Amino acid sequence: MRSAFLIDLQYRASIAIWLVWGITEPIISLGIWWSIAAGGAVDGYTREAFARYFFGVALVNQATLSWDAWNIDRWIRGGEMNYRLTRPIAPIHEAVADNIAYKAPTAAIILAAWFVAAIFWPAVRIPFEPGRWTLAIIAIVLAAAIRFLNGYASGLLAFWTTRATALVELQFGLSLFLSGRIAPLSLLPPRVAHFAEYLWFPYVVSFPVEILTGAVTTRSQYARGFAWQIVWLVIWLLLYMLVWSRGRRHYGAVGG
Amino acid sequence: MPNAIVATELTKIYDVKVRDPGIRGALTALARPRYRQVRAVDNVSFAIERGDAVAFLGPNGAGKTTTLKMLTGLLFPSAGRAQVAGCNPWTGGNPFRQRIAFVLGNKQQLLWDLPPEETFRLNRAIYGVSLADYSARRAELVELLVLGDLIDKPARQLSLGERMKCELAAALLHQPEVLFLDEPTLGLDLEAQQTIRTFLGEYRQRHDATILLTSHYMADVTALASRVLIINRGRLLYDGELSELVARIAPIKRIELVLSEPVARARLEEYGTVAHYAPPRATLEVPRETATAASTRLLADLAVADLSIQDPPIEEVIRIAFGETEASTEPEVMRADVRRAPP
Repeated sequence: MRSAFLIDLQYRASIAIWLVWGITEPIISLGIWWSIAAGGAVDGYTREAFARYFFGVALVNQATLSWDAWNIDRWIRGGEMNYRLTRPIAPIHEAVADNIAYKAPTAAIILAAWFVAAIFWPAVRIPFEPGRWTLAIIAIVLAAAIRFLNGYASGLLAFWTTRATALVELQFGLSLFLSGRIAPLSLLPPRVAHFAEYLWFPYVVSFPVEILTGAVTTRSQYARGFAWQIVWLVIWLLLYMLVWSRGRRHYGAVGG
Repeated sequence: MPNAIVATELTKIYDVKVRDPGIRGALTALARPRYRQVRAVDNVSFAIERGDAVAFLGPNGAGKTTTLKMLTGLLFPSAGRAQVAGCNPWTGGNPFRQRIAFVLGNKQQLLWDLPPEETFRLNRAIYGVSLADYSARRAELVELLVLGDLIDKPARQLSLGERMKCELAAALLHQPEVLFLDEPTLGLDLEAQQTIRTFLGEYRQRHDATILLTSHYMADVTALASRVLIINRGRLLYDGELSELVARIAPIKRIELVLSEPVARARLEEYGTVAHYAPPRATLEVPRETATAASTRLLADLAVADLSIQDPPIEEVIRIAFGETEASTEPEVMRADVRRAPP
């Protein structure tokens, strides 16, 4: 953990750039929906509702995004996995530390920026309800774990194929629409939204955001969201364990 | 002495995709992939006693690194067994990894942007080394490797030699019983090579550590290991004393010359066998014991711009020593050279 934090401190400038890149997407989406909603609410979403939603997306996406597949792909194909495999600690620990070291400060910066914005712009204020906020934090942590395991397990496919990252990019593209990063899920065509409900995408961005903005209200909505989060967490955990143990045997230990 | 490393009939077979050249070849490979089996390591057996230092020699692609990767548990073998530091490398898990270190000369594990000290601390946490042990070992390694203030500079600012010294220190903080070193002096200048050789010898004596190293430098081998394993095309060709190997091949040194004036090939033949002649450069092979005398005469008699005395490259040693068995593929012939097979 200490090393991961120190490395990130070394890369202050890069991290600032990644942070800007990370919030550009929700800002652009907000800009588009803001002008669409000029003539009145879109399917119940007013301009202010869109603003709250995309502030939420910026925070949740930052806290849950996953770049691990690219790292692992590089470790495996470049031979950097070798020394990691001879240490008495699974490489996933390093990835977890790396994630926490990057996400904790950057998410805090977004949260602080949101707080400052809320002082001057009442539209993005969200009611202070400790219970709801606590549930939102739990949902964000679960979402981060799902996206992390999803990315990590997909990256481990590099044990077999040299195109593991292509699969991850496909998931990344799907997640733009199906996780609610481009638009709130309720604005998607009903069939698409219904299809997405059975995948993990809605539960890694949309669900935590909607807890924050107050769109999730009933006990059954909470139960359903958390249940799906746990189901997908278990599925990706099992897939990670499977790919890891099989991949180790298949490993060609290239390089060096 | 108990054995620290026992390899029994280790074999690694890779499936390599065969593809004909051109677009047609690419399309055929896509539609109907064909595989060819390559035996990277073929039925290799040996045993190394605790505290021994053994050098693994062989040309590029001979199977040295693949064997090391199997013994460190990185690669699973296609056949065969092994025991390293009392553990099975593939099922030994973390207790096994605690007992070994694997240093790759061309891959670094130091945290690139941080001083080596941070990698040391990270390794202390990973290997669960107590603070008292850590302080003592760190002090010892800093002294033996003459690290000084290197450990406070970011790794990316260190020279290759400095980095390798820090790599070794980082890899030894948990005091492994068995060290696997893959080309530890690769690309280093002579002084750094020397420091690392001296260090490894000293470290082995102090801690009764077992070392299995691969190297392209004959000097690494002569300084560190009394016993060598020679592997070529995946097969173990020789297992025995280095001195015996040298006696077995023509015990020669190579004198490499750069001449400042043209000298006829016939004239050079007076000093030794001309192995290579491309004026102004020439290489002579002379008996080991007369190398110094021959050099002195060459410098006195001829206009020599530059002269260096070298051991024949390992490829050459292998070629000379096994020239007669190289063509043969009969395992019996190869096995006859192996003196120390495991029980």
